[in-house]
Amino acid sequence: MHDIRYDEVHDEFLVVNPFADAILTFRGGTSGQESPVRIIQGPHAKIGGNRLDVDPIHNEIFVPDGNRIRVYPREANGDVAPIRIIEGPDTQLTRAESLAVDPVNNILVAGFNKQGNDPNGAILVFNRTDNGNVKPRAVIRGPKSGIIRINQMAVYPPKKLIVATMPGLVDLMEPPNAFLGIWTYDDNGDIPPKWKIPIGPKTTLKKPFGVVLNPKNKEIIISDMRLNSVLTFSVPEIF
Amino acid sequence: MRKAFQLALAAFFVWLAQGIFAQGQVDRRPVVIERPPLRFIKDPNPSFSAVAVDSDSNMLVVSDENMFRIMEYDRRESTPPRARLTEPKRIISGTNTKAEMICGVYIDPKTKEIYALNGDTQNWMPVFSTNARGNVAPNRALNIPGHPFQMAADEEKQLLYMTIQSDNKIVVYRKQASGGEKPVRTIEGNDTQLEDPHGIALDLKNKLIFVSNFGNVDFKAAGRAGRFGKFEPPSITVYPMEASGNVKPLRVIEGPKTLMNWPAHMAFHEERQELFVANDADNSILVFRATDEGDSAPLRIIKGPKTGIKSPPGIALDGKLGELYVANMGTPSITVFPVTANGDVVPTRTIRGGPEGAVGLMIGNPGAVGYDTKREQILVPN
Repeated sequence: MHDIRYDEVHDEFLVVNPFADAILTFRGGTSGQESPVRIIQGPHAKIGGNRLDVDPIHNEIFVPDGNRIRVYPREANGDVAPIRIIEGPDTQLTRAESLAVDPVNNILVAGFNKQGNDPNGAILVFNRTDNGNVKPRAVIRGPKSGIIRINQMAVYPPKKLIVATMPGLVDLMEPPNAFLGIWTYDDNGDIPPKWKIPIGPKTTLKKPFGVVLNPKNKEIIISDMRLNSVLTFSVPEIF
Repeated sequence: MRKAFQLALAAFFVWLAQGIFAQGQVDRRPVVIERPPLRFIKDPNPSFSAVAVDSDSNMLVVSDENMFRIMEYDRRESTPPRARLTEPKRIISGTNTKAEMICGVYIDPKTKEIYALNGDTQNWMPVFSTNARGNVAPNRALNIPGHPFQMAADEEKQLLYMTIQSDNKIVVYRKQASGGEKPVRTIEGNDTQLEDPHGIALDLKNKLIFVSNFGNVDFKAAGRAGRFGKFEPPSITVYPMEASGNVKPLRVIEGPKTLMNWPAHMAFHEERQELFVANDADNSILVFRATDEGDSAPLRIIKGPKTGIKSPPGIALDGKLGELYVANMGTPSITVFPVTANGDVVPTRTIRGGPEGAVGLMIGNPGAVGYDTKREQILVPN
């Protein structure tokens, strides 16, 4: 599994099972071999991709899948078709593999990987309610951005921040330029992150894959693939 | 006129402000936060994911998915109760090895080379010589797209059979294949009933392939319906050795009596005509008859607190000495049993890679992380 999201409003957590093309929703606190409370799966649902995010306010689930982002009702169960799809040449979506939704400022951010000869990945900023072949509000992309690929993403609505792990080239075990980057919703173009937690001996990070925020304690929690570990950093300056 | 001037002036300032803002973005230098983590969750012990044994050379090769190592022990080792762990004879590990999330290992019975299968993060099967150790490049490496899980060899025909998880297929390579060489044969398609295949074992006498499936179906529908998933019970599907393409299994072992729950690596005992299954999520080893079909109960089950079996993805058989080796991820150990073991039995030997009673964190390739704000718990999918 390549994503997990906790919905604190409904005390549930959600994952994608990419081997069975399914979104699984579990009750909070689930342990052992307890079954999910809901499953979205089937030929109408067409779950692709392996990451997601949940909007607990507007009751929607967002799933990136390469050239498109599908949106499902949060309470859907069974073979339920998406209620919106962001898709088309104007969207600039290619290899979209990650996203995060901000239900307060109505923003949806998507991250994707480098493709073909283009060495750069990107972060695309959409409106939360976008549908069809829409242009992104902003595109963060280019060598100064440092983005080759984006893994898990998070947003911090009070400060309008985008937080993303950038683990570097996929075939390198220990890429030299991996980092966790923090951009703002207003960023557009080839923009370096506003804040950056780099890999290296001081942070001990090697290949950051996952990220989640704990605003209560002003912490960023990062999972690192190459360390097979979870690291918690105190970063009060961003909150 | 004056109003037009004021509007033009305002527009100029907006343009200037946007320019300054944009320039500020371009010229931005990130604030680099370089500080040690407050907390660090890390398992200090190995997480044994696969095992291979060769009694002629007393080689026991295991893979460690926690610290990305291939380790060789003397198969006769038995960690004394008071010892912290048993040191391996050699370790192969590092960025030059092309070995990372190793989920399958094989020892060539003649050359004693070690074949290692990356299940994720790297698309390589590196092959190492008997004197390889440390951060060494492999003698050769084969590029294998997808997510392989286990391999089994037909030494007579010099072929390697492998399960590929993400594409629901079996691939057959020349044993000496390297680089980007393509498989000589694949078994793939909706009729195969390959459903997230993991383990593979060969009955060379009766020319059969056994495949264990977790039950995650990725169905490829005709026309515009595309692909979609469904859940089926775990199963073992059986194919003729020479099968190719979209073939139906000869038979299927599946149902509640089988007790299968994440059936992972398998091993086949030719003389006994028995199929051994590492039943990962049930903390057990299941033994089936080679001829079993449908909802068959296992012939024997090794399970219980005395066995020391905990989340076992890997097994290997030493048919010559009649021993079964189990790689446990839930605790850093290899447990050894006679092939006739049944029930809650004490292993004949245990080789520990960490302290007795150590519990494996089982963090493996954590692609994401979540935070349960209500319970103040960190959620780590693997």
